[in-house]
Amino acid sequence: MSERLIVIGGGGAGTAAATIAKRVNPDLKVTLFTEFPDIAYSPCGIPFVHGREIDKFENLFLSTVERYIEDGLDMRMETTVTDIDMDRGTLTARNTHEGFDKLVVCTGFVWEKPDVPGANLEGLHYVKDIRAAMLFDEQLDGMKRVAVIGATPLGVEMAGNLGHRGLEVDFIDEGPWVLSEVLDPDVAEPVHESLEKRGVTLRLGTRVEGFAGSGGRVGAVATSAGELPCDAVIVCLHKEPNSALAEAAGVKTGTTGGIIVDERMRTSLPDVWAAGDVVEVPHGLSMLPIRGLTGSHAYAQGRTAAFNAAGRDHVYDPVWIPWGMVAGDYTIGGFSIGETLATAMGVPYVLGKGVGVSRARYYPGATRTHVKLLAEPDTLRLIGGQIHGGEGVKERADFLAFAAKRGATLEDIAWMENIYSPPIGALFEPMAIAAQNGLEEIRKRAAVGAA
Amino acid sequence: MSSLDQMKRRLRERSELYLLRAAARDLGAGVPGTVAPFSGREGLLWRRLFVPLYRRLPWELKQRAMESLRMTASGWTPPERRPREPWRPPRPS
Repeated sequence: MSERLIVIGGGGAGTAAATIAKRVNPDLKVTLFTEFPDIAYSPCGIPFVHGREIDKFENLFLSTVERYIEDGLDMRMETTVTDIDMDRGTLTARNTHEGFDKLVVCTGFVWEKPDVPGANLEGLHYVKDIRAAMLFDEQLDGMKRVAVIGATPLGVEMAGNLGHRGLEVDFIDEGPWVLSEVLDPDVAEPVHESLEKRGVTLRLGTRVEGFAGSGGRVGAVATSAGELPCDAVIVCLHKEPNSALAEAAGVKTGTTGGIIVDERMRTSLPDVWAAGDVVEVPHGLSMLPIRGLTGSHAYAQGRTAAFNAAGRDHVYDPVWIPWGMVAGDYTIGGFSIGETLATAMGVPYVLGKGVGVSRARYYPGATRTHVKLLAEPDTLRLIGGQIHGGEGVKERADFLAFAAKRGATLEDIAWMENIYSPPIGALFEPMAIAAQNGLEEIRKRAAVGAA
Repeated sequence: MSSLDQMKRRLRERSELYLLRAAARDLGAGVPGTVAPFSGREGLLWRRLFVPLYRRLPWELKQRAMESLRMTASGWTPPERRPREPWRPPRPS
Protein backbone atom coordinates (compact mmCIF):
# COMPACT_ATOMS: atom_id res chain seq x y z
CA MET A 1 0.00 0.00 0.00
CA SER A 2 1.29 3.47 -0.82
CA GLU A 3 2.31 5.84 1.93
CA ARG A 4 0.27 8.92 2.76
CA LEU A 5 1.92 12.31 3.07
CA ILE A 6 -0.10 15.14 4.58
CA VAL A 7 0.92 18.77 4.11
CA ILE A 8 -0.63 21.35 6.44
CA GLY A 9 -0.69 24.80 4.88
CA GLY A 10 -1.36 26.13 1.41
CA GLY A 11 1.17 28.98 1.16
CA GLY A 12 4.41 28.96 -0.82
CA ALA A 13 6.08 26.27 1.30
CA GLY A 14 2.98 24.06 1.53
CA THR A 15 2.12 24.08 -2.17
CA ALA A 16 5.77 23.46 -3.07
CA ALA A 17 5.99 20.59 -0.59
CA ALA A 18 2.79 18.91 -1.85
CA THR A 19 3.33 19.30 -5.59
CA ILE A 20 7.00 18.39 -5.58
CA ALA A 21 6.59 15.39 -3.25
CA LYS A 22 3.98 14.04 -5.70
CA ARG A 23 6.26 14.72 -8.65
CA VAL A 24 9.30 13.09 -7.01
CA ASN A 25 7.34 10.06 -5.83
CA PRO A 26 4.09 9.60 -7.81
CA ASP A 27 3.19 6.59 -5.62
CA LEU A 28 2.76 8.84 -2.58
CA LYS A 29 -0.80 9.74 -1.64
CA VAL A 30 -0.48 13.47 -0.99
CA THR A 31 -3.15 15.47 0.84
CA LEU A 32 -2.95 19.22 1.43
CA PHE A 33 -5.01 20.94 4.14
CA THR A 34 -5.53 24.68 4.08
CA GLU A 35 -7.86 26.83 6.14
CA PHE A 36 -8.32 29.23 3.21
CA PRO A 37 -10.56 28.90 0.12
CA ASP A 38 -7.79 29.90 -2.31
CA ILE A 39 -4.37 28.59 -3.19
CA ALA A 40 -1.46 29.40 -5.49
CA TYR A 41 -1.68 33.17 -5.48
CA SER A 42 0.92 35.77 -4.66
CA PRO A 43 0.09 37.52 -1.37
CA CYS A 44 3.19 39.67 -1.94
CA GLY A 45 1.31 41.33 -4.81
CA ILE A 46 -1.58 42.53 -2.64
CA PRO A 47 -0.11 46.00 -1.78
CA PHE A 48 0.39 46.70 -5.49
CA VAL A 49 -3.27 45.98 -6.30
CA HIS A 50 -4.31 48.34 -3.50
CA GLY A 51 -1.95 50.89 -5.05
CA ARG A 52 -3.50 50.36 -8.52
CA GLU A 53 -0.12 49.34 -9.92
CA ILE A 54 -1.78 46.01 -10.77
CA ASP A 55 -5.27 46.04 -12.26
CA LYS A 56 -7.04 43.38 -10.26
CA PHE A 57 -6.57 40.73 -7.60
CA GLU A 58 -7.36 37.96 -10.09
CA ASN A 59 -3.99 38.68 -11.75
CA LEU A 60 -2.24 37.41 -8.61
CA PHE A 61 -3.49 33.86 -9.09
CA LEU A 62 -0.97 31.48 -10.59
CA SER A 63 -2.98 28.28 -10.66
CA THR A 64 -6.26 26.73 -9.54
CA VAL A 65 -7.39 24.10 -7.06
CA GLU A 66 -8.67 22.02 -10.00
CA ARG A 67 -5.20 22.01 -11.53
CA TYR A 68 -3.71 20.53 -8.36
CA ILE A 69 -6.45 17.90 -8.25
CA GLU A 70 -5.66 17.01 -11.88
CA ASP A 71 -2.04 16.58 -10.79
CA GLY A 72 -3.19 13.94 -8.32
CA LEU A 73 -3.30 15.91 -5.08
CA ASP A 74 -6.09 15.48 -2.53
CA MET A 75 -6.98 19.11 -1.77
CA ARG A 76 -8.81 19.93 1.46
CA MET A 77 -9.75 23.58 1.14
CA GLU A 78 -11.18 25.65 4.01
CA THR A 79 -10.28 22.82 6.36
CA THR A 80 -8.46 23.76 9.54
CA VAL A 81 -6.33 21.12 11.24
CA THR A 82 -7.03 21.38 14.95
CA ASP A 83 -4.90 18.59 16.39
CA ILE A 84 -2.02 16.27 15.54
CA ASP A 85 -1.67 12.95 17.37
CA MET A 86 1.84 11.70 16.72
CA ASP A 87 1.39 8.43 18.65
CA ARG A 88 -1.48 7.37 16.41
CA GLY A 89 -0.23 9.10 13.29
CA THR A 90 -3.46 11.02 12.83
CA LEU A 91 -4.61 14.58 12.61
CA THR A 92 -8.02 16.05 13.28
CA ALA A 93 -9.83 18.34 10.89
CA ARG A 94 -13.57 19.08 10.94
CA ASN A 95 -13.90 16.53 13.76
CA THR A 96 -12.60 13.77 11.49
CA HIS A 97 -9.39 11.84 12.02
CA GLU A 98 -7.06 11.42 9.08
CA GLY A 99 -4.10 9.04 9.18
CA PHE A 100 -0.67 9.88 7.82
CA ASP A 101 2.70 8.20 7.42
CA LYS A 102 4.59 11.44 6.85
CA LEU A 103 3.75 15.01 7.70
CA VAL A 104 5.00 18.37 6.43
CA VAL A 105 4.03 21.38 8.58
CA CYS A 106 3.84 24.66 6.63
CA THR A 107 1.49 26.64 8.83
CA GLY A 108 3.18 29.95 8.05
CA PHE A 109 2.91 33.01 10.22
CA VAL A 110 0.50 35.29 12.02
CA TRP A 111 0.99 39.04 12.29
CA GLU A 112 2.10 40.48 15.61
CA LYS A 113 -0.83 42.38 17.09
CA PRO A 114 -0.33 45.73 18.78
CA ASP A 115 -0.43 45.27 22.55
CA VAL A 116 -2.29 48.52 23.26
CA PRO A 117 -5.88 49.52 24.15
CA GLY A 118 -8.32 49.43 21.28
CA ALA A 119 -6.48 46.77 19.28
CA ASN A 120 -9.71 44.80 18.91
CA LEU A 121 -11.63 47.62 17.23
CA GLU A 122 -12.99 47.07 13.75
CA GLY A 123 -11.01 48.75 11.03
CA LEU A 124 -7.62 47.33 11.98
CA HIS A 125 -6.56 45.48 8.86
CA TYR A 126 -3.89 42.77 8.49
CA VAL A 127 -2.59 41.97 5.00
CA LYS A 128 -2.59 38.24 4.41
CA ASP A 129 -5.66 36.61 2.90
CA ILE A 130 -6.59 37.67 -0.63
CA ARG A 131 -10.36 37.57 0.01
CA ALA A 132 -9.98 39.92 2.98
CA ALA A 133 -7.82 42.13 0.77
CA MET A 134 -10.54 42.26 -1.91
CA LEU A 135 -13.11 43.38 0.67
CA PHE A 136 -10.70 45.91 2.16
CA ASP A 137 -9.97 47.27 -1.29
CA GLU A 138 -13.67 48.06 -1.77
CA GLN A 139 -13.75 49.82 1.60
CA LEU A 140 -10.68 51.86 0.66
CA ASP A 141 -12.73 53.51 -2.09
CA GLY A 142 -14.73 55.31 0.60
CA MET A 143 -11.75 56.31 2.74
CA LYS A 144 -9.62 59.44 2.78
CA ARG A 145 -7.02 58.89 5.46
CA VAL A 146 -5.35 55.73 6.73
CA ALA A 147 -2.61 54.95 9.21
CA VAL A 148 0.02 52.31 8.52
CA ILE A 149 1.83 51.12 11.63
CA GLY A 150 5.19 49.38 11.42
CA ALA A 151 7.95 50.46 9.00
CA THR A 152 8.61 46.86 7.99
CA PRO A 153 8.94 45.84 4.32
CA LEU A 154 5.17 45.28 4.11
CA GLY A 155 4.54 48.59 5.88
CA VAL A 156 6.69 50.44 3.35
CA GLU A 157 4.90 48.76 0.45
CA MET A 158 1.44 49.45 1.89
CA ALA A 159 2.22 53.07 2.76
CA GLY A 160 3.76 53.77 -0.65
CA ASN A 161 0.96 52.09 -2.54
CA LEU A 162 -1.89 53.65 -0.57
CA GLY A 163 -0.23 57.03 -1.11
CA HIS A 164 -0.04 56.23 -4.81
CA ARG A 165 -3.78 55.48 -4.74
CA GLY A 166 -4.40 59.01 -3.52
CA LEU A 167 -5.04 58.38 0.17
CA GLU A 168 -3.53 60.47 2.93
CA VAL A 169 -1.22 58.10 4.77
CA ASP A 170 0.27 58.47 8.24
CA PHE A 171 3.18 56.02 8.48
CA ILE A 172 4.04 55.39 12.12
CA ASP A 173 7.07 53.64 13.58
CA GLU A 174 9.22 53.89 16.71
CA GLY A 175 12.44 53.62 14.73
CA PRO A 176 14.60 56.53 13.57
CA TRP A 177 14.09 55.73 9.86
CA VAL A 178 11.99 53.30 7.87
CA LEU A 179 13.12 49.67 7.82
CA SER A 180 15.63 50.56 10.54
CA GLU A 181 15.97 46.89 11.55
CA VAL A 182 17.37 46.07 8.11
CA LEU A 183 18.33 49.17 6.21
CA ASP A 184 21.29 51.41 7.04
CA PRO A 185 20.71 55.12 7.75
CA ASP A 186 22.64 56.34 4.69
CA VAL A 187 19.74 55.10 2.54
CA ALA A 188 17.05 56.71 4.68
CA GLU A 189 16.92 60.06 2.89
CA PRO A 190 16.11 58.88 -0.67
CA VAL A 191 13.63 56.33 0.66
CA HIS A 192 11.85 58.91 2.81
CA GLU A 193 11.77 61.44 -0.04
CA SER A 194 10.28 58.89 -2.37
CA LEU A 195 7.54 57.96 0.11
CA GLU A 196 6.75 61.61 0.85
CA LYS A 197 6.39 62.31 -2.86
CA ARG A 198 3.62 59.71 -2.85
CA GLY A 199 1.71 61.57 -0.16
CA VAL A 200 2.96 59.62 2.85
CA THR A 201 3.49 61.53 6.09
CA LEU A 202 6.29 59.91 8.06
CA ARG A 203 5.77 59.71 11.83
CA LEU A 204 9.08 58.20 12.87
CA GLY A 205 10.38 57.96 16.42
CA THR A 206 6.70 57.70 17.35
CA ARG A 207 5.05 55.06 19.51
CA VAL A 208 1.49 53.83 19.03
CA GLU A 209 -0.24 54.05 22.42
CA GLY A 210 -3.74 52.96 21.50
CA PHE A 211 -6.64 53.09 19.09
CA ALA A 212 -9.77 55.14 19.64
CA GLY A 213 -13.11 55.06 17.89
CA SER A 214 -16.85 55.03 18.18
CA GLY A 215 -19.41 52.33 17.55
CA GLY A 216 -16.70 49.71 17.83
CA ARG A 217 -14.81 51.08 14.82
CA VAL A 218 -11.40 52.74 14.83
CA GLY A 219 -11.37 56.49 14.17
CA ALA A 220 -7.95 57.54 15.40
CA VAL A 221 -4.53 56.30 16.48
CA ALA A 222 -3.23 57.62 19.79
CA THR A 223 0.53 58.11 19.54
CA SER A 224 3.35 59.59 21.59
CA ALA A 225 3.15 62.57 19.22
CA GLY A 226 -0.60 63.09 19.54
CA GLU A 227 -3.79 61.66 18.08
CA LEU A 228 -4.04 60.98 14.36
CA PRO A 229 -7.54 60.62 12.86
CA CYS A 230 -7.95 57.79 10.37
CA ASP A 231 -10.56 55.73 8.55
CA ALA A 232 -8.57 52.50 8.92
CA VAL A 233 -5.32 51.18 10.33
CA ILE A 234 -3.09 48.76 8.44
CA VAL A 235 -1.03 46.78 10.93
CA CYS A 236 2.36 45.79 9.51
CA LEU A 237 4.35 44.71 12.57
CA HIS A 238 6.51 41.57 12.76
CA LYS A 239 5.67 38.12 11.44
CA GLU A 240 5.28 35.52 14.21
CA PRO A 241 5.55 31.81 13.47
CA ASN A 242 2.22 29.98 13.52
CA SER A 243 3.75 27.06 15.41
CA ALA A 244 1.16 26.38 18.14
CA LEU A 245 -0.36 23.33 16.41
CA ALA A 246 3.02 21.65 15.88
CA GLU A 247 4.24 22.64 19.35
CA ALA A 248 1.17 21.04 20.93
CA ALA A 249 2.05 17.82 19.09
CA GLY A 250 5.51 17.82 20.65
CA VAL A 251 7.55 19.44 17.86
CA LYS A 252 10.41 21.49 19.33
CA THR A 253 10.58 25.22 18.74
CA GLY A 254 13.65 27.43 19.07
CA THR A 255 14.76 30.82 20.31
CA THR A 256 12.77 32.67 17.63
CA GLY A 257 9.57 30.71 18.35
CA GLY A 258 9.90 28.98 15.00
CA ILE A 259 10.03 25.19 14.57
CA ILE A 260 13.57 23.82 14.81
CA VAL A 261 14.53 21.94 11.64
CA ASP A 262 17.77 20.41 10.43
CA GLU A 263 19.25 20.93 6.98
CA ARG A 264 16.81 18.38 5.54
CA MET A 265 13.88 20.30 7.07
CA ARG A 266 13.32 17.46 9.55
CA THR A 267 11.74 18.50 12.83
CA SER A 268 12.49 16.97 16.24
CA LEU A 269 9.86 14.26 15.58
CA PRO A 270 10.38 11.34 13.18
CA ASP A 271 8.65 11.56 9.79
CA VAL A 272 7.68 15.17 10.39
CA TRP A 273 9.18 17.96 8.27
CA ALA A 274 8.46 21.68 8.34
CA ALA A 275 9.14 24.60 6.00
CA GLY A 276 8.42 28.27 5.36
CA ASP A 277 7.59 31.05 7.79
CA VAL A 278 6.89 28.60 10.60
CA VAL A 279 10.52 27.38 10.82
CA GLU A 280 13.81 28.92 11.85
CA VAL A 281 16.94 28.36 9.75
CA PRO A 282 20.52 29.43 10.44
CA HIS A 283 22.12 32.56 9.05
CA GLY A 284 25.22 31.59 7.05
CA LEU A 285 27.46 34.06 8.85
CA SER A 286 26.57 33.53 12.49
CA MET A 287 24.66 30.21 12.40
CA LEU A 288 22.07 31.97 14.58
CA PRO A 289 18.57 30.79 13.72
CA ILE A 290 16.39 33.37 11.97
CA ARG A 291 12.91 33.32 10.48
CA GLY A 292 10.38 35.40 8.57
CA LEU A 293 12.28 35.33 5.29
CA THR A 294 10.98 35.74 1.76
CA GLY A 295 8.53 33.76 -0.36
CA SER A 296 11.41 32.34 -2.39
CA HIS A 297 12.97 30.99 0.81
CA ALA A 298 9.64 29.41 1.77
CA TYR A 299 9.34 27.79 -1.66
CA ALA A 300 12.90 26.39 -1.58
CA GLN A 301 12.39 25.04 1.94
CA GLY A 302 9.11 23.43 0.85
CA ARG A 303 10.98 21.78 -2.04
CA THR A 304 13.66 20.51 0.34
CA ALA A 305 11.06 19.06 2.70
CA ALA A 306 9.30 17.44 -0.28
CA PHE A 307 12.48 15.85 -1.65
CA ASN A 308 13.35 14.33 1.70
CA ALA A 309 9.80 13.27 2.59
CA ALA A 310 9.47 11.65 -0.84
CA GLY A 311 12.65 9.67 -0.42
CA ARG A 312 15.23 11.74 -2.26
CA ASP A 313 18.05 13.30 -0.25
CA HIS A 314 18.45 17.05 -0.39
CA VAL A 315 20.19 19.49 1.92
CA TYR A 316 19.22 23.17 2.36
CA ASP A 317 22.08 25.57 3.08
CA PRO A 318 22.28 28.20 5.81
CA VAL A 319 20.93 31.43 4.35
CA TRP A 320 22.64 34.64 3.16
CA ILE A 321 19.29 36.35 2.50
CA PRO A 322 19.40 38.43 -0.65
CA TRP A 323 16.58 40.95 -0.34
CA GLY A 324 15.23 43.84 -2.33
CA MET A 325 12.15 45.96 -2.70
CA VAL A 326 10.77 49.19 -4.08
CA ALA A 327 10.23 51.81 -1.41
CA GLY A 328 8.01 54.45 -2.98
CA ASP A 329 9.76 54.61 -6.35
CA TYR A 330 13.25 53.92 -5.05
CA THR A 331 14.83 50.46 -5.23
CA ILE A 332 16.76 49.17 -2.24
CA GLY A 333 18.28 45.82 -1.45
CA GLY A 334 21.11 43.94 0.09
CA PHE A 335 22.16 40.63 1.52
CA SER A 336 23.07 39.13 4.88
CA ILE A 337 23.70 42.10 7.18
CA GLY A 338 24.23 45.84 6.88
CA GLU A 339 26.16 48.16 9.15
CA THR A 340 23.26 48.54 11.58
CA LEU A 341 22.90 44.81 12.13
CA ALA A 342 26.67 44.25 12.20
CA THR A 343 26.99 46.97 14.84
CA ALA A 344 24.10 45.56 16.86
CA MET A 345 25.54 42.05 16.75
CA GLY A 346 29.07 43.27 17.38
CA VAL A 347 30.43 41.68 14.20
CA PRO A 348 33.69 43.36 13.18
CA TYR A 349 33.78 44.58 9.57
CA VAL A 350 35.57 46.71 7.02
CA LEU A 351 33.68 48.69 4.41
CA GLY A 352 33.89 49.21 0.68
CA LYS A 353 31.57 51.85 -0.76
CA GLY A 354 31.10 53.00 -4.32
CA VAL A 355 28.72 54.55 -6.80
CA GLY A 356 28.42 53.52 -10.43
CA VAL A 357 25.86 53.55 -13.20
CA SER A 358 23.50 50.80 -14.22
CA ARG A 359 24.27 51.10 -17.95
CA ALA A 360 26.55 53.28 -20.07
CA ARG A 361 26.42 56.81 -18.73
CA TYR A 362 25.25 58.21 -22.07
CA TYR A 363 22.54 55.60 -22.60
CA PRO A 364 18.94 56.71 -21.84
CA GLY A 365 17.63 55.30 -18.56
CA ALA A 366 21.01 54.95 -16.84
CA THR A 367 20.64 55.28 -13.07
CA ARG A 368 23.15 55.68 -10.28
CA THR A 369 23.73 52.50 -8.30
CA HIS A 370 25.16 52.76 -4.79
CA VAL A 371 26.92 49.72 -3.36
CA LYS A 372 28.21 49.15 0.15
CA LEU A 373 30.07 45.95 0.97
CA LEU A 374 30.96 44.64 4.42
CA ALA A 375 33.86 42.21 4.79
CA GLU A 376 35.68 40.39 7.58
CA PRO A 377 38.65 42.52 8.63
CA ASP A 378 41.20 39.68 8.54
CA THR A 379 40.24 37.59 5.49
CA LEU A 380 38.23 40.27 3.64
CA ARG A 381 35.51 37.70 2.96
CA LEU A 382 32.16 39.29 2.16
CA ILE A 383 29.74 39.22 5.07
CA GLY A 384 27.05 41.65 3.97
CA GLY A 385 26.07 44.54 1.79
CA GLN A 386 23.45 47.04 0.73
CA ILE A 387 22.62 48.37 -2.71
CA HIS A 388 20.28 51.15 -3.76
CA GLY A 389 19.40 53.18 -6.79
CA GLY A 390 17.56 52.22 -9.92
CA GLU A 391 17.80 49.09 -11.96
CA GLY A 392 19.88 46.01 -11.24
CA VAL A 393 19.60 46.08 -7.44
CA LYS A 394 17.94 42.66 -7.30
CA GLU A 395 20.48 40.94 -9.55
CA ARG A 396 23.40 42.39 -7.62
CA ALA A 397 21.92 41.34 -4.25
CA ASP A 398 21.35 37.81 -5.57
CA PHE A 399 24.90 37.65 -6.94
CA LEU A 400 26.54 39.01 -3.80
CA ALA A 401 24.63 36.63 -1.51
CA PHE A 402 25.80 33.72 -3.62
CA ALA A 403 29.36 35.06 -3.77
CA ALA A 404 29.44 35.46 0.03
CA LYS A 405 28.10 31.95 0.49
CA ARG A 406 31.00 30.66 -1.61
CA GLY A 407 33.54 32.65 0.42
CA ALA A 408 34.28 35.47 -2.07
CA THR A 409 36.46 38.33 -0.82
CA LEU A 410 36.65 42.06 -1.54
CA GLU A 411 39.67 41.22 -3.71
CA ASP A 412 37.55 38.78 -5.77
CA ILE A 413 34.83 41.38 -6.32
CA ALA A 414 37.34 44.14 -7.09
CA TRP A 415 38.69 42.03 -9.96
CA MET A 416 35.43 40.42 -11.07
CA GLU A 417 34.53 40.17 -14.74
CA ASN A 418 31.47 42.10 -15.83
CA ILE A 419 29.37 42.72 -18.89
CA TYR A 420 29.96 45.98 -20.71
CA SER A 421 27.15 46.63 -23.17
CA PRO A 422 25.82 50.21 -23.25
CA PRO A 423 22.08 49.42 -22.98
CA ILE A 424 22.48 46.94 -20.11
CA GLY A 425 25.81 47.43 -18.35
CA ALA A 426 28.48 50.10 -17.79
CA LEU A 427 32.21 49.62 -18.24
CA PHE A 428 32.78 49.88 -14.53
CA GLU A 429 30.64 47.60 -12.42
CA PRO A 430 29.39 49.38 -9.25
CA MET A 431 30.12 46.34 -7.05
CA ALA A 432 33.71 46.24 -8.33
CA ILE A 433 34.06 49.99 -7.71
CA ALA A 434 32.90 49.53 -4.10
CA ALA A 435 35.35 46.66 -3.54
CA GLN A 436 38.23 48.59 -5.14
CA ASN A 437 37.49 51.61 -2.96
CA GLY A 438 37.37 49.38 0.11
CA LEU A 439 40.73 47.79 -0.70
CA GLU A 440 42.28 51.19 -1.35
CA GLU A 441 41.05 52.45 2.00
CA ILE A 442 42.43 49.39 3.76
CA ARG A 443 45.80 49.79 2.01
CA LYS A 444 45.96 53.42 3.06
CA ARG A 445 45.18 52.53 6.65
CA ALA A 446 47.72 49.70 6.60
CA ALA A 447 50.36 52.07 5.22
CA VAL A 448 49.63 54.60 7.96
CA GLY A 449 49.82 51.80 10.54
CA ALA A 450 53.16 50.56 9.17
CA ALA A 451 54.69 54.05 9.09
CA MET B 1 8.57 24.48 26.47
CA SER B 2 10.99 24.32 29.40
CA SER B 3 11.73 27.38 31.50
CA LEU B 4 15.30 27.36 30.17
CA ASP B 5 13.97 27.51 26.61
CA GLN B 6 11.64 30.32 27.61
CA MET B 7 14.54 32.19 29.17
CA LYS B 8 16.67 31.76 26.03
CA ARG B 9 13.82 32.99 23.84
CA ARG B 10 13.35 36.05 26.01
CA LEU B 11 17.11 36.70 26.13
CA ARG B 12 17.25 36.63 22.36
CA GLU B 13 14.17 38.78 21.87
CA ARG B 14 15.11 41.47 24.40
CA SER B 15 18.81 41.57 23.54
CA GLU B 16 18.04 41.94 19.81
CA LEU B 17 15.61 44.76 20.49
CA TYR B 18 17.93 46.84 22.65
CA LEU B 19 21.11 46.12 20.68
CA LEU B 20 19.36 47.15 17.46
CA ARG B 21 17.99 50.31 19.03
CA ALA B 22 21.42 51.24 20.37
CA ALA B 23 23.06 50.57 16.98
CA ALA B 24 20.39 52.61 15.17
CA ARG B 25 20.83 55.48 17.60
CA ASP B 26 24.61 55.51 17.14
CA LEU B 27 24.73 55.05 13.38
CA GLY B 28 21.78 57.29 12.60
CA ALA B 29 22.90 60.27 14.68
CA GLY B 30 23.18 63.28 12.39
CA VAL B 31 22.45 61.34 9.20
CA PRO B 32 20.07 63.33 6.95
CA GLY B 33 16.52 62.03 6.97
CA THR B 34 16.74 60.26 10.31
CA VAL B 35 15.18 61.22 13.65
CA ALA B 36 15.87 60.09 17.20
CA PRO B 37 14.22 56.72 17.85
CA PHE B 38 11.41 56.58 20.38
CA SER B 39 12.85 56.20 23.83
CA GLY B 40 10.55 54.76 26.48
CA ARG B 41 11.27 54.22 30.14
CA GLU B 42 11.24 50.45 29.93
CA GLY B 43 14.30 48.24 29.58
CA LEU B 44 16.61 50.28 31.80
CA LEU B 45 18.78 47.28 32.72
CA TRP B 46 19.03 46.17 29.12
CA ARG B 47 20.00 49.63 27.93
CA ARG B 48 22.33 50.62 30.75
CA LEU B 49 23.90 47.27 31.61
CA PHE B 50 23.45 44.63 28.94
CA VAL B 51 24.19 46.72 25.84
CA PRO B 52 27.47 48.28 27.09
CA LEU B 53 28.63 44.93 28.49
CA TYR B 54 27.82 43.06 25.28
CA ARG B 55 29.64 45.67 23.22
CA ARG B 56 32.83 45.23 25.24
CA LEU B 57 33.13 41.55 24.45
CA PRO B 58 34.98 40.46 21.32
CA TRP B 59 32.85 38.80 18.61
CA GLU B 60 34.64 35.44 19.00
CA LEU B 61 33.70 35.35 22.68
CA LYS B 62 30.10 36.27 21.91
CA GLN B 63 29.97 33.50 19.32
CA ARG B 64 31.35 30.97 21.80
CA ALA B 65 28.84 32.08 24.43
CA MET B 66 25.95 31.71 21.97
CA GLU B 67 27.20 28.26 20.98
CA SER B 68 27.59 27.09 24.56
CA LEU B 69 24.11 28.37 25.39
CA ARG B 70 22.93 26.35 22.35
CA MET B 71 21.49 29.41 20.71
CA THR B 72 23.05 28.58 17.35
CA ALA B 73 21.52 26.05 14.97
CA SER B 74 22.36 22.36 15.28
CA GLY B 75 21.90 19.67 12.64
CA TRP B 76 23.29 21.96 9.96
CA THR B 77 26.57 21.94 8.10
CA PRO B 78 28.23 25.30 8.76
CA PRO B 79 29.45 27.10 5.65
CA GLU B 80 32.84 25.95 4.52
CA ARG B 81 35.46 28.20 6.07
CA ARG B 82 38.55 27.15 4.21
CA PRO B 83 41.75 27.93 6.08
CA ARG B 84 43.22 30.86 4.27
CA GLU B 85 45.93 33.36 4.95
CA PRO B 86 44.60 36.64 6.25
CA TRP B 87 44.62 39.30 3.57
CA ARG B 88 47.67 41.56 3.63
CA PRO B 89 48.30 44.71 1.63
CA PRO B 90 50.97 44.36 -1.10
CA ARG B 91 54.49 45.27 -0.07
CA PRO B 92 55.52 48.75 -1.16
CA SER B 93 57.79 48.52 -4.20
